[in-house]
Amino acid sequence: MAEFKKNSLIVEHKFDTKTKRHYLNNTQTVFHCHHYTTLYTQLALDAGETVLLQNVAEESFFDLISNYFETHNIENLDEKVDIACEYYAALGLGDVKVRFLGEDSGEVISEHSHIEQGWLKKWGKYDKTVNYIGCGYVAAMFSAILDKPIGTFFVKEHQSIVKGDKFTMFKIVKK
Amino acid sequence: MAVNRKKIIEDLSKIEILGNENGLIEKFNVYVNQLPIHFWNGFAERLTNKIAPDLLEATEYLLIHAGQNCGYHTGYGIIKSEEWEAVVAPMIETKEDILHGAFAVLTAWGWGNAEIVELLPNEKMVVRVYNYYESDIVKYGKTDKMSAYMLRGICAAFFSLAYGGEYSPNGDNALKYNCLQTKGIECGDEYGEFIVTPN
Repeated sequence: MAEFKKNSLIVEHKFDTKTKRHYLNNTQTVFHCHHYTTLYTQLALDAGETVLLQNVAEESFFDLISNYFETHNIENLDEKVDIACEYYAALGLGDVKVRFLGEDSGEVISEHSHIEQGWLKKWGKYDKTVNYIGCGYVAAMFSAILDKPIGTFFVKEHQSIVKGDKFTMFKIVKK
Repeated sequence: MAVNRKKIIEDLSKIEILGNENGLIEKFNVYVNQLPIHFWNGFAERLTNKIAPDLLEATEYLLIHAGQNCGYHTGYGIIKSEEWEAVVAPMIETKEDILHGAFAVLTAWGWGNAEIVELLPNEKMVVRVYNYYESDIVKYGKTDKMSAYMLRGICAAFFSLAYGGEYSPNGDNALKYNCLQTKGIECGDEYGEFIVTPN
């Protein structure tokens, strides 16, 4: 098992030689590329199932972030925010910065995005927002940071790199 | 020199990848991510089970197509990478060796323990995959729906890279072969079986 530190986030990577599976901090993960994420997103758009995509992302990331806080006894709010943002980057999803976070609302911006830069690289600009996976992550991080159940927050992109904005802005509202 | 599958898996599974200062993993000429398998399986399985029956085939096609694109572009990036050059390239003598090496890399990446069991150049390839993550959709019992969409796409894509002509950045040459899943762990079989043939 390899352990390496990236800022305050500790990432432990393990490859199980028997099952041939990868684990990041005991969560089973797998490598994929932007072609796969963007085509999943396109499929969700075509099928009218972007909510499903966002919800599944929220579930997956909520477990990841909450388990980390629990395992490492992270209770400090600033530390929780830093770790949740660093986790997003460690997964290769891009960067996120929390502008503000409250019990009822919040704003998160992203200047670099796996999904959106991948989309631009593959297809160019688009007239709709596409980062439903990012929305799911942001909803998960807000719930995990504030010790709320999954599904507490609604997240929507109000600015979007893929639409031509300088950064993507996620607006968060309690449901 | 024959392809040393064990060494490829051992060496390439150790590659540790984290996002750069922008949170992006730019490798193999693509942006790479490492997301929980629950995410990939969760979306594919829920979507294929909730979609109207008359749209299932089209939905499955698009899931396979996503895997095919991923396998084609990332697969090409891998066989042009310094990691491939260092570990796999010295073992390569024939086009078929490239395919055997690619499936060892697939295993190292955590997609499933995959091995070619039959190969007729440009005609047919049979791949057997043990313990693939797409089979995790079933925890107890078995389903009738073969669900390894990603692996179907990947197998067809790798065959395209070997026999489908020059790499096409727009993906045109990725679609020259079709892959059927004939066995599935999720369906109660011991392994998944994937058969690639020309369209």
